[in-house]
Amino acid sequence: MNLRIEATGNVTYVAPVGRLDFDAAPGFQEALERLLGGAGERSAAVIIDGTALEYVSSAGLRAFLLAARAAQRSGIAFALCALQPAVREVFELSGFSRIIPVHTDRASALAQTPPGRA
Amino acid sequence: MDHPPVSPRARAARASLTLPVVLTPVLRWVNTVRAKVRGVAQSLVEGRGPYARAFENLIVALVIFSIASIGVESIPGLPEWATRALYVAEIVVVAIFTFEYLLRLVAARNKFGFIFSYQGLVDLLAIAPFYVLGVDARWLRALRLLRVLKLQTHFLETVVEERTRELAEKNAALEKAQAQLKAELEVARALQLAILPASFPARSGCEAAARMIPATTMGGDFYDYIELPDGQVGLVIADVSGHGVPAAFFMAVARTNLHELALHHIDPGECLAQTNDALCAQNPLDLFVTVFYCVLDPKSGVLRYANGGHNPPYIRRAAGTVETLRGAGGLVLGAMPSGRYPTHTVQLVRGDRLVLFTDGVTEAFNPAEELYGAQRLADEVHVHGGGTPAALVERICQSVTNFAGTAPQSDDITLTVLTWGAP
Repeated sequence: MNLRIEATGNVTYVAPVGRLDFDAAPGFQEALERLLGGAGERSAAVIIDGTALEYVSSAGLRAFLLAARAAQRSGIAFALCALQPAVREVFELSGFSRIIPVHTDRASALAQTPPGRA
Repeated sequence: MDHPPVSPRARAARASLTLPVVLTPVLRWVNTVRAKVRGVAQSLVEGRGPYARAFENLIVALVIFSIASIGVESIPGLPEWATRALYVAEIVVVAIFTFEYLLRLVAARNKFGFIFSYQGLVDLLAIAPFYVLGVDARWLRALRLLRVLKLQTHFLETVVEERTRELAEKNAALEKAQAQLKAELEVARALQLAILPASFPARSGCEAAARMIPATTMGGDFYDYIELPDGQVGLVIADVSGHGVPAAFFMAVARTNLHELALHHIDPGECLAQTNDALCAQNPLDLFVTVFYCVLDPKSGVLRYANGGHNPPYIRRAAGTVETLRGAGGLVLGAMPSGRYPTHTVQLVRGDRLVLFTDGVTEAFNPAEELYGAQRLADEVHVHGGGTPAALVERICQSVTNFAGTAPQSDDITLTVLTWGAP
């Protein structure tokens, strides 16, 4: 799976491309951990742009869960936006949309994401 | 008595028949000898036996000797007898190298391939100058130095052989380990399947059937049927995140916790909340499980349910319409403690069927990478849901496997069907 990562100001957008399944999940998780945890320069907010994200399996959801936890630990705001309908449904059915904010597009995600402590 | 006249053509035909008859044993003998010679040649230059080793060592020793002799020859004032001895030695060496070259040529399956191979050329270079220029040629000495290359081909060959043998040994060990791992995984898989109820107890008022088709890798789907102390029955369907041994372990832990807690917490939402807290307390790998849990009162047909992040099941009404059990759910279990799982109630009428499934059903792919999808499942339930639960389970499994065709199954396919109102 490809990730398009864009840092603008103190917000980093991550746009996964394709299917986030069992095989793609570890790479995705690692990339998010680099952005959300540990040393180095960190953004105040990380927003996942789901425009090109076609599918999320349960292993993919787990990567999001771990990312949300890492963000919380590091004091970085973490949100999703522009999810395709099928992916949005997965987030709603699994209850993940209750623990990770889901927005319609980048603009509303930016407006409603309070910058983290970092 | 006259012999029939023999035409010249017939005579020729008879001759051409006789000739092979005479020649065949000869040819056969020649062939046998040729095969034998080739076999001996091969065993000497390509084999690994003691003779081949000895021959190999002899050649290497001769190369070293022949290179050393170049240096000895150039010592000024060498006695006459020594020069003569070296002269004879050089002839012997070339004779043996020539013999070796011919052996290799005979042994080679592809003669031209050998002649133009690196070793073939180096071997030829080691003897050709002798034949072309004669033993006394002044610069033959320089050419003889090229025999160093011969040494290299021999050592190279030995090194390659050794590495190949090491690799083969490692591969064998790896294959053995893999086979052992596979056998252990199969045992684990069998154990996992064994903790699922094989059949549902026959009981007045309701009837149920279930099936799980495991994916090739170990998955974590499960279903369960729980007889509650107050005469109600609990039905579970669940899907652990990910694959493999971790998912299988988590499945076993989740199933056991839920089964135990269901006996003490009759309310489905409360049962899921308790199970969630229990799983969060023992979840080192951050796995989670989606669970749909419902409790049916066989006396009244009242079904109470709670959903922890699982795809909503279908109800096929006795009239044939298919509804989705959409009541708001909570978060998947194991992800975050102290979650809330609202309990919903739905009244069944006699002949209604409840269809629980995991996303292995709706997310089965066909070779064209299309999804089976919720609509196909709803259609199957609508059209074929009128029979027994077992028949509907069978029907849907058939439909999914037919759809998937040759596409590999990436997730467990699990289904449970419950009917209320069987007399």
